[in-house]
Amino acid sequence: MPTIEVNDLTKDYGSVRAVDSLSFTVESGEVFGFLGPNGAGKTTTIRSLLGLLKPTAGTATVLGADVHDEDALIDAKRRIGYLPAHLGFDEEATGTDVLDYHESVKGGSRRDELLEIFTPPVERPIREYSTGNRRMLGIVQAFMHDPELVIMDEPTSGLDPLKQEEFNEFVRSERERGKTLFFSSHVLSEVRRVCDRVGILRGGELVGLEDVDTLLQQGGKRVQIRTTDEASGDFAELDGVIDMQTFADGIQFIYTGEYNTLLGELATHDVREIEISEPPLEDIFMHYYGKAGAVESDREVESDA
Amino acid sequence: MGKLVQSNPTERWNPMLETLKYEMSRRLRGTTILTVGLGLYVAFIVWYFSLLEPSAFEEVLQSLPPAMSDAFGMQAIGTIEGFLGGQIYTFVWLLALGIYFAYTAAGLIATDIESDRMDLLLSFPVARSRLLTEKFAALLLPIVALNVGVGVATYGLVLSIGETIDPTHLALAHLLSIPYLLVCAAIGLVLSVLVDRAAVAERAAIGLIFLLWLVESAVGAAEDFAWIQNISPTHYYSPTPVLIDGSYELLDSGILLAACLALLVVSQVLFQRRDI
Repeated sequence: MPTIEVNDLTKDYGSVRAVDSLSFTVESGEVFGFLGPNGAGKTTTIRSLLGLLKPTAGTATVLGADVHDEDALIDAKRRIGYLPAHLGFDEEATGTDVLDYHESVKGGSRRDELLEIFTPPVERPIREYSTGNRRMLGIVQAFMHDPELVIMDEPTSGLDPLKQEEFNEFVRSERERGKTLFFSSHVLSEVRRVCDRVGILRGGELVGLEDVDTLLQQGGKRVQIRTTDEASGDFAELDGVIDMQTFADGIQFIYTGEYNTLLGELATHDVREIEISEPPLEDIFMHYYGKAGAVESDREVESDA
Repeated sequence: MGKLVQSNPTERWNPMLETLKYEMSRRLRGTTILTVGLGLYVAFIVWYFSLLEPSAFEEVLQSLPPAMSDAFGMQAIGTIEGFLGGQIYTFVWLLALGIYFAYTAAGLIATDIESDRMDLLLSFPVARSRLLTEKFAALLLPIVALNVGVGVATYGLVLSIGETIDPTHLALAHLLSIPYLLVCAAIGLVLSVLVDRAAVAERAAIGLIFLLWLVESAVGAAEDFAWIQNISPTHYYSPTPVLIDGSYELLDSGILLAACLALLVVSQVLFQRRDI
């Protein structure tokens, strides 16, 4: 039985269709990345999985529980951890107060262990917390009852790079312990580090479901260079160069071909500045699904906030 | 819950009233401050009563328009019971606390939804209906504590200026206020699950309780429209007569409790159906 099974899930807000006939499954023991630009419908999907929103059509099961069946879902929630994108806590309560409350309701066998990795100042009131501290408190509450499945919405937003790395390390160790992790992100580099499989959402529809390796191969790199000579023509002719853009002080393109070919071509020019980086998600869509799709993917869906 | 224990015998977490305990613990500080504050206000009123000449009360009563003296229950202002009824119970208990509890309840759900805290609460293995019930029930702490604390303080203060007040009547005036305050809170709760923005729900609750109080006070004189009074919860709780001679209608309290239950059912249905 899949840990999460989504079948033709649709959520309509009248004026906007936030999620449109979405179907996918997440198998037990995998780390599944749910990738898409802001407003693609990631949060709407996650909130439907937890029974916060009622789907307009279609259904989903989480740990075997139908999201329409409150009793079944309540039983399942004992084995689910949830880290929302926006963390709302009692501002006047201390971290300890909040964790005590959470522990009393759902258990907290791993609380102390987690507080050694993630270190929010639990003795202080939450109104004094930085974004990173709030996020860490959120991570602790999501994992403290040792759930089988943890659903996370943009889990690393607000964490400093060091903590992000610790979090990624933690996610990998959780996978080794056999946990299923489902998380949304709009940052490809985050997803590629920890995920086994990625679902790509755009405008409320699933436009890709790939192994993360496949995605990255096809995603390519973004190359920005500044040369003293006119280079755009030469690079445009290379295999695997797409979306060439010329600026006053250089050129930029997405490169999906052989690295050696690119380096060979670069060597024939007088390069003043170069940056080879992970392409932004929008550019992957552009390559992956055509230009029209990329434009559409920028569409904001208000209700996803 | 029974189903789960069967399917998973190792499951030991069976939360009972944890939300109630947590919410009450969050209300302890505010309840203490409010009780002490009102106690001090009662002390001031009692002290003020001890200074006044009996003839002064008659002048005060004469100078007030009849509608006003009716609204604040000031007919028996010359006795300590009547004075407390007018200055404390009709004004503070009926109007101020009614508004306060409607306002507080209006924030219960709407504030959590607005701050996204509701996301976390609903990720708990707890039914929406139970969460709502426990959050509402936590309001019993301030309601009961205020009545007990201020009631006892009032009795002591009255004795301390050499006056007497029937302790049964005083206790009854407080006891009968509980169904009334619960109805006010339940009105706030309905607004809290109905309205998306906490500030709107809270303002609407204040306005509505004030309006209902006004309806009862203003319409009281006009025979033809007297029935309109019946929609106001203030119509079913009259502290001054209870204080003076212990007279009350048990039916009134029954109506208030029934109204409270009905409003709770409405808020449960609304909360169950809504998207968060």
